[in-house]
Amino acid sequence: MASPGPVAPPEPALSPPDSTRTGPGRLLVAVYALFALAASARAGVQIATKFDDAPTAYLLSAFAGVVYILATVTLAIGSPMARRIAVLSCSVELVGVLAVGTWSLADPATFPDATVWSGYGSGYGFVPLVLPVFGLLWLRRLAKRA
Amino acid sequence: MSGVLPTTVIVAGLVLAGYAGVMSARDRRMDVPLLIAVGVVEVIVLVLVGLVVGKLAGGGRPAGGSATLIGYLIAMPIVPVAAAFWGLLERTRWGPAVIAAAGLVMAVLVVRLHQIWPVIHV
Repeated sequence: MASPGPVAPPEPALSPPDSTRTGPGRLLVAVYALFALAASARAGVQIATKFDDAPTAYLLSAFAGVVYILATVTLAIGSPMARRIAVLSCSVELVGVLAVGTWSLADPATFPDATVWSGYGSGYGFVPLVLPVFGLLWLRRLAKRA
Repeated sequence: MSGVLPTTVIVAGLVLAGYAGVMSARDRRMDVPLLIAVGVVEVIVLVLVGLVVGKLAGGGRPAGGSATLIGYLIAMPIVPVAAAFWGLLERTRWGPAVIAAAGLVMAVLVVRLHQIWPVIHV
């Protein structure tokens, strides 16, 4: 049993290393973790069971999963290096959802089965479209604060 | 949407989302009543998952293959619990915000589950 020390709980300081995952970041990381799981699992099932049906679509789905995992982990860690990677990750994510979204609409034959980024994430309530924007805004807000 | 139990889970998820959302809007942090609400949703979800597993054990299979279904059955009990832990770490209104998101997600998951395999009509 530890001896009683100072009573004040360790409240997060104004911009400590882990502030990316507190406050609004708490919700952001939660949603990113959800999409990391959903995208990766879905891509995994698609690639494992019917890869030949739409190899391009499923590989893009897997790529999206990796990007989400990276964003989740780096946003949760929050160190200066992690934040830089997070900015990169969310930027790639934004470009990805816009590019794949456009591609899926212009060339439906390549996307017979929906992926996370198809139709700009329409199968997921367009959350994949706005999520990277919030991620980047959050990271920028913290960078200004520091 | 047939089936009282799936409908109940959906409603429970939405009610949880609303309750947690109001707490978040009122700048409250997570408290025991909210945790109990999450617990109630978790119990109902476990009942639903148990029934579906029972159907699978009895030899039934969804039309499009079981992999996606099993993914849902694994994910559904985890989401409320993980959200509760993650939200508890937060000392601000954003804790309940995580729970609100989880409630919405649970509702969506049950809708999708029932679309994949509309087998629970209790």
